[in-house]
Amino acid sequence: MSPNNYLVLSALLFSIGAIGVVLRRNAIVVFMCVELMLNAANLAFVTFARLLGNLDGQVVAFFTMVVAACEVVVGLAIIVTIFRSRRSASVDDANLLKY
Amino acid sequence: MNFVAPVINYSQVLPILIVLGTALLGVIVEAFVARDRRYQIQVPLSIAGLVVAFVWILKIHATTAITAESAVAIDGPALVLQGAIVILGIAGLLLIAERKLDSSGDAFVAQAAAIPGSEAERTATLAKLTQTEVFPLTLFAIAGMMLFPAANDLVTMFVALEVLSLPLYLMSGLARRRRLLSQEAALKYFLLGAFSSAFFLYGAAFLYGYSGSVGFRQIREAIQTNAGNDVFLLTGIALVSVGLLFKVSAVPFHSWTPDVYQGAPTPVTAFMAACTKIAAFGAFARLFYVGLSGARWDWRPMLTVIAIATMVLGALWALTQTDIKRMLAYSSVAHSGFILTGIVATNKAGLSGTLFYLVTYGFTTIGAFAIVTLVRNASGEATHISGYAGLGKRSPWIAMLLSLFLLALAGIPLTSGFVAKFAVFSAAYESGSTVLVIFGVLTSAIAAFFYIRLIVLMFFQDPEEDGPTVAAAPLMTTAAIALCATVTLVLGILPNSLVHVIDAASRFVF
Amino acid sequence: MNLILAANPFTPGQTGTPEAVLFWILAPLAVLAAVSMIFVKKAVHSALLLAWVMITLAIFYIAEDAPFLGIVQIVVYTGAVMMLFLFILMLVGVDSSDSLVETIKGQRVMAMIGALGFAVLLIGAIGRSYTGFAGLTAANTDGNVEGLAQLLFTRYVWAFEVVSALLITAALGAMVLGHRERSSERPTQRELSILRFRPGSKLPGAPLPNPGVYALHNAVDVPALLPDGTPDPSSVSRVLKARGDVLDTKAFEMHTIEEGEDESK
Repeated sequence: MSPNNYLVLSALLFSIGAIGVVLRRNAIVVFMCVELMLNAANLAFVTFARLLGNLDGQVVAFFTMVVAACEVVVGLAIIVTIFRSRRSASVDDANLLKY
Repeated sequence: MNFVAPVINYSQVLPILIVLGTALLGVIVEAFVARDRRYQIQVPLSIAGLVVAFVWILKIHATTAITAESAVAIDGPALVLQGAIVILGIAGLLLIAERKLDSSGDAFVAQAAAIPGSEAERTATLAKLTQTEVFPLTLFAIAGMMLFPAANDLVTMFVALEVLSLPLYLMSGLARRRRLLSQEAALKYFLLGAFSSAFFLYGAAFLYGYSGSVGFRQIREAIQTNAGNDVFLLTGIALVSVGLLFKVSAVPFHSWTPDVYQGAPTPVTAFMAACTKIAAFGAFARLFYVGLSGARWDWRPMLTVIAIATMVLGALWALTQTDIKRMLAYSSVAHSGFILTGIVATNKAGLSGTLFYLVTYGFTTIGAFAIVTLVRNASGEATHISGYAGLGKRSPWIAMLLSLFLLALAGIPLTSGFVAKFAVFSAAYESGSTVLVIFGVLTSAIAAFFYIRLIVLMFFQDPEEDGPTVAAAPLMTTAAIALCATVTLVLGILPNSLVHVIDAASRFVF
Repeated sequence: MNLILAANPFTPGQTGTPEAVLFWILAPLAVLAAVSMIFVKKAVHSALLLAWVMITLAIFYIAEDAPFLGIVQIVVYTGAVMMLFLFILMLVGVDSSDSLVETIKGQRVMAMIGALGFAVLLIGAIGRSYTGFAGLTAANTDGNVEGLAQLLFTRYVWAFEVVSALLITAALGAMVLGHRERSSERPTQRELSILRFRPGSKLPGAPLPNPGVYALHNAVDVPALLPDGTPDPSSVSRVLKARGDVLDTKAFEMHTIEEGEDESK
């Protein structure tokens, strides 16, 4: 098997995540789709690290995990705040700004 | 395995460390100082930290070096932009710290965790609680912004991008008035910001796959020797650009800009409109001029198209707006297009023009938003444009200052905006992108129309009966506006001194 | 020479057969889970499917000579991040689901076409490109963790230091948005008991009846039945009452047992 298959898988997962972000209206699900995209990027980094024979890609994936964890904390805090004020986590219910 | 300790020249990264250290001190103040005394400590502490950082930037102004194991490049463009970010950060902090404008406190909610309209919110407001956490958060954002244009590899750039974004996501949701709008702005900003950083990261993965490293020098060398796989390079460039174009709000990645600018508390809008743009374009320029300069024939056509779309659509959308914050937001989209013109030029004049544009644009934007905080009615800021009718008759000074900023944004001669626009357009012309210059001049004319329409509204119409009033400008806001107005005027009349400084500094270290 | 070739189980640029088997079993499952994740209606199901994708990726990391990252992926992503997601979903309401109705007409089709185009472009590009296969045997000679640590504390030490600012920001932000300080003192237990026994108090001296007492059901949304068979409204949380989630007790009242029938059994 060619290791490129991992890259194809990561491209697939990334695209699925991007479709989800555009398609879904629930803020939590949208955010989960972003996490899927970050995971796909990590898979690409790890695969490239193996193809290239250096560990830099793995270190970057490591950084991504830390950054994603921080993002999750802030993002979920914002989502919970919104939910508490309007009892809905739908992106569409939050549309005071659209006109 | 032998471990060689990493070399970091701390003197060169000291400005960033000073700001980060001040932010940490601010966090400690939040933890240990009594609630009613925090404000008195936070404001002087934050401003002192920024002033010291600026002094240190002046001290190391001639540095050209790559340090911290080639993670950070401290050179002319980085130092110019860091200096501008720190000064504009001080102006932004002054606006954020202002407590004399709103009858019930500052621009931020008394208690962010209290549900809007609830009893808890009412008691918190009555108890005059305040969220002084905004000061350390602002400093964290400033530190991220200072690192962003100095980042010399994709990982540092990604981390800096997040360091500057996370506090901004949070602060957009903290407005005192119209809280639902503000929280919604925070949600939109956060979701689209996270979406865009995923694109940036995936692009970084491909650039790593292409060159075997995330460092700009290695990527540049790989392009020069044509070492890697072109498919990876092109995919990487495209995806990384998407991530960065989101941050500079270029069309078609601008959709968050008007919503966030409108919903966020106006001092935060002022701060992020100016400083995020400077930092993001600085990083943009370093990535494309240092890392990807060898592939410029691949990215120039793409950026040219985006620059044209951004200029034209930003200006056209701004025409149709009735809310001044949204209008300024779309104008900032159009300005992104003008700045991209400088980047696409890919010559020295283009770089120095871009830097000059960023500095002047930052000052005019903060000034314009500062004046928006002053025009108020009973329910807070009156942002509808109709409220500005007859402002020139009621408070001629404020109307004159706003007109100055608007004229500078429009790029009328004798203001800094004209010099800046002239610089980027002439650089683009010099590099042979005549189409860009034609579109730039045409859209500048369209853009001038809506700025001047507002000026006409202010001076040649009678004020509404129950229209908004202009608050007597309190000390800190006055200081911020005075700083911005002075810079705008002085750089318009005598631009030479800054032009020389920037010209001398416009060289990236490789 | 032959021995060396035999010791090297795969041809250059190819991975071994066990890994191929692993990949072809797990990768379709991961893609299937990811696709279902964006199409299932309930957010909780999406979260569980995403957790599955993440575990699959962890297994791939271990297969790709990144054992440390694989473990961290399980601990940090599935263990912490996804649990946080589930926690928030519980807080927001487990059955929070999407309408999946388009708000902008044709948006879904446009998104699908756009993203599928992107995927095809990307996959086509990657599929055509052949890259050499260096492998991590050399880089991992001192051990994967040691190799990572070496890089983390030399080349990437600056980013590593700056990440701390990110962590502090996240903690501070969560505090700002989540922490609520009481503006009035919380009544102490002593004050509460005095209040309860003071004449004219609306609270009874004895504890409130638990929900479900004497009923055939002890869920929190079922009011207790008093000895005379009538439901006691004070036994159910007023939050549930305000949400209209209190069940009708009729179904849970003791029925008079029909004589004869049960006895015979």
